[in-house]
Amino acid sequence: MNTKDIWKRFDIPLFAAVLLLCIFGVALISSAIAGNPTLAQHPQRQATFMVVGLVVLFAVAAFDYHVWLTLTKPFYIITAIFLVFVFVSGQSSFGAQRWLQVGLLVVQPAELAKLVIIMSLAEFLSKHLTQINNWGIIGRSFALTLGIVLWILLQPNLSTSIVILVIWALMVWICGLKAKQILIATGILVAFAGISYATDFPYLADYQKGRIENFFNRPTDEEARYGDTYNVDQALISIGSGGWFGQGYGQGSQVQLRFLKIRHNDFIFSVLANEFGYVGTVLILGLLVFVIVRCFIVAKNAPDAYGALLAYGFAVLIAFQTIVNVGVNLRLLPVTGLTLPFISYGGSSIVSMLMGIGLVQNVRMRTDDRKQLG
Amino acid sequence: MNATRYEKPTIAIKRFRWVFMAIAVIFTYYVLQLFQYQIVNGADYVAQAEDNRTDIISDPTERGMIFDRNGIVLARNTPSYNVTITPAQLPDGEDNPGDRYRILRELADTINMPLSAGNYNEETARGFTPCATDFGIREIVEIASTNWPYQPTRIRCNIPRDMAMVVREKAMDWPGVAVEVESIREYPTGIETAEVVGFLGPVPEVLLDYYTELGFVSGRDKVGYAGIENSMQDVLGGRNGRRVVEVAVDGQVIRNLEEPIPPVPGSNIYLTIDVRLQEAARTALRSNFDYWNYRAGRILSESGAVIAMNPKTGEILAMVNYPSYENNRMSRFIPGYYYNQLSIDEAKPLLNKAISSELPPGSVYKLVSALGVLNEGVVTPEQTIEDPGTIYLVQSFYAHDAGSLKEYVCWTADEGGHGPVDFLHAIAWSCNVYWYKVGGGFHDEVPGNGLGILRMDEYARALGYGQLTGIELPGEVDGLVPSPNWKRFNIGENWATGDTYLAAVGQGFVLATPLQVVNSISTIANGGKHMQVTMINKIVEADGTVSKQLEPKVLWDITKDPMIHTIDGNQILDETKTVQPWIVELAKRGMEMVTQIGGTAYAEYKEYDGFVGGKTGTAEYCDDFALSLRLCGEGINTWPAHAWFVGYEPADDPEIAVVAFVYNGREGSTFSAPIVAKVLDTWKQLKEIDAAKNILPAGN
Repeated sequence: MNTKDIWKRFDIPLFAAVLLLCIFGVALISSAIAGNPTLAQHPQRQATFMVVGLVVLFAVAAFDYHVWLTLTKPFYIITAIFLVFVFVSGQSSFGAQRWLQVGLLVVQPAELAKLVIIMSLAEFLSKHLTQINNWGIIGRSFALTLGIVLWILLQPNLSTSIVILVIWALMVWICGLKAKQILIATGILVAFAGISYATDFPYLADYQKGRIENFFNRPTDEEARYGDTYNVDQALISIGSGGWFGQGYGQGSQVQLRFLKIRHNDFIFSVLANEFGYVGTVLILGLLVFVIVRCFIVAKNAPDAYGALLAYGFAVLIAFQTIVNVGVNLRLLPVTGLTLPFISYGGSSIVSMLMGIGLVQNVRMRTDDRKQLG
Repeated sequence: MNATRYEKPTIAIKRFRWVFMAIAVIFTYYVLQLFQYQIVNGADYVAQAEDNRTDIISDPTERGMIFDRNGIVLARNTPSYNVTITPAQLPDGEDNPGDRYRILRELADTINMPLSAGNYNEETARGFTPCATDFGIREIVEIASTNWPYQPTRIRCNIPRDMAMVVREKAMDWPGVAVEVESIREYPTGIETAEVVGFLGPVPEVLLDYYTELGFVSGRDKVGYAGIENSMQDVLGGRNGRRVVEVAVDGQVIRNLEEPIPPVPGSNIYLTIDVRLQEAARTALRSNFDYWNYRAGRILSESGAVIAMNPKTGEILAMVNYPSYENNRMSRFIPGYYYNQLSIDEAKPLLNKAISSELPPGSVYKLVSALGVLNEGVVTPEQTIEDPGTIYLVQSFYAHDAGSLKEYVCWTADEGGHGPVDFLHAIAWSCNVYWYKVGGGFHDEVPGNGLGILRMDEYARALGYGQLTGIELPGEVDGLVPSPNWKRFNIGENWATGDTYLAAVGQGFVLATPLQVVNSISTIANGGKHMQVTMINKIVEADGTVSKQLEPKVLWDITKDPMIHTIDGNQILDETKTVQPWIVELAKRGMEMVTQIGGTAYAEYKEYDGFVGGKTGTAEYCDDFALSLRLCGEGINTWPAHAWFVGYEPADDPEIAVVAFVYNGREGSTFSAPIVAKVLDTWKQLKEIDAAKNILPAGN
């Protein structure tokens, strides 16, 4: 296959959908500023990172993903070092730290870690596909995951850790894990949850416990409305008051008068709902589902296990993050810090998401047309 | 490229079904949920969003002032500066403890308040009252941030203006700290007029709905609790302004959503009282207590009331209730310990005895009998009745009840009574036996049943007894004009002949307020014209418009309006008649004789320069207070008594009538008559002073 043929198979609808989502994200972030001076630079920065991300996307897509395969180990080690560094510097400043200052850039290594984990697991699992029901292999894949997750968990950043663990579980599952192994693993998980509950989640920080507590046992008193459950309550009001067509771009009372908090990030979906209504939310959800399904199809049709696992892992990542983020906005899940892929503000997030799309395009471009139709 | 690198994928392709299914299920569920929230329940959330962005701001209005008849300020508003902290706006204590405590420390230095003080525990924290606390700033902030972090809490109240300006300037760098300007009610005449003016308090819980409807803000606005402040609340209170605005989450006002309604200030009220006379009356009452208590070497009495009114217009010129309270102590908040102290005091300082105490009027009530016996022709004015000092009357409960003999005595019983007494002397000497006999009948001397209770009640009501005067003060009571029916319903006994005898002299079941007493005598002094009693001279709106000016109102004239029902046996007929004018004049003659030689108040008025008519009253009583002191007993001069005196001057054309009531004062002439004399004298002096002022050229 020559380069020209390869670019012919570049998935333009997928790319168009992603581009649309990213641009729409910048627009929503502009609206979400709502006169807050500390947010004023955010749309511009998001746009810059989007451009950087697009460059990365094409760069990643250009080289056969098997080239990247060879770089998996160095990536893994560098990421782990980054995370350890973040953890240590976080310790010394008495609080959770998730950022790393690299020159002028503030990098959130946990975002990149998700991609590195997907690459590493894809590499490891594709090599050991036939032994997937072997406890040793399962254990080694988990250890590989833990090497990264441990540091994220210690930050503490529970939600990203969960995302990565979910990616690990679903990647092992797609490799053909047998029912017996699944049952045993589920048993271990239930036991772990049980012990955690009994010992009052010793590994969780107080604010994390509080969020979970508030979700399952909603406080109804007036104070809570101004405190613990304020953000979610306001998110729901923002969504509900959007109606069919929303209050208009830059016109949402909940957004512009700043009743909605973390507007540019965790609750950007509520900004969308408030200003663009039901039509807007369904359209954007439709686009996201289109992207997710498109990635899964690339995975399904991939020419080899490595490519399939790469695309599949990334599809799981955006699917899971979308489901959790929207679920939080709809008060169906406890509050997490997970972003809405492509749309939420965050340089590391958008760059790693576009990098992931680059990998998926990469796999797609190296898949036969016959396979495409199959 | 090496094709062999693309090995055949062996991941479980079939499992993608489950993936697509899961995605379909979850996102379908989300889309349905969104439909539920945005479309089905959309209106609900729109309402909540509206509620979020809409704020109703109540702009406080200014309460009207209260003046006396000469424009002396009795109640005004004065700004008071309070330092407040809104804990939620302070720098976060967890992220930024240094900044937070720097602000508190600097504030503590600026307002001279301890940063940390007081005994802080759960109990004391619960009892925290802003403005009245021993806590330091940190304790107050701690309490406020736990309980109401988004509300400004008063840290220190009533700081000097200069200090307030400094804090206000520095507050630019102190997020969460602010200076609040509170309008405080100030009563320059304080305790001298407290019973009339009253005081303010927070919107009471039971009337919350009522006042909220009127636009009052609970916790900020105050409403009248007593006196004119209470009764004229609607006039004084004004109306708060109202703005419906769009606000951002931090409370910043973005714009008006509706046309704003500006506040309407309350109207100013000019009372009919004269503060100078009020002070004189109080001083007279108090010095009288001091004199008698000192002479007795123990506390005989320390409770009473004085009212001065203009009989021709019904204006109240002074109203003193003693003991009273200091209403300035209630101006900021009602201190619990002070209120408790007032509440448990046996002399009931919070009760305005002038209008809220029902008391036996004693001999003053004889004027009721006096009008009755002549107008009904029971006796003629010249007819004399024999007073042997002690008489025995039959106490019977029904028509043919043989009854039992009961002893009735005159206050001169020890000296063998007054002998033969005619109408005028019966008033001047306050001869009980005369009034017993004519009131209830006595053998052949006053045949039949004399005046009788039903006819007596007609004259009592014509003089205003048994009904509210309608004075513009809260808590007025109507007293009691007893009747056979009343006794049957309330005591479950038949009316006894003895009850009539007692009623004839203002004892027994008869009860009246000091205001009713002075009003009844005023009616006679005014030639039978019963005036509407009032305390309001005029009401002036904030823009200077006089919205109400006192116009004296004749409620009825007993010599012209037929008020008196004809009584046939036990029947009250519809037929009515007037009181003949000569009888009213004769009653006045009798009262004029009270202060002359032989009259019951001669001793107190012989040196008085002026023509005073009046009536003494010594009303025996027995209540909880008297019982506790073991004052009650059988026989004359052993029962405790209230002292009454009503006097008016000049007797031939009265301009002022004054009642003095002394609780447990024993004898009306000695205890109360001198008080009235002092008030009357002051009135004349004040008239002279005012007349002299008017002669002086303007500007001096």
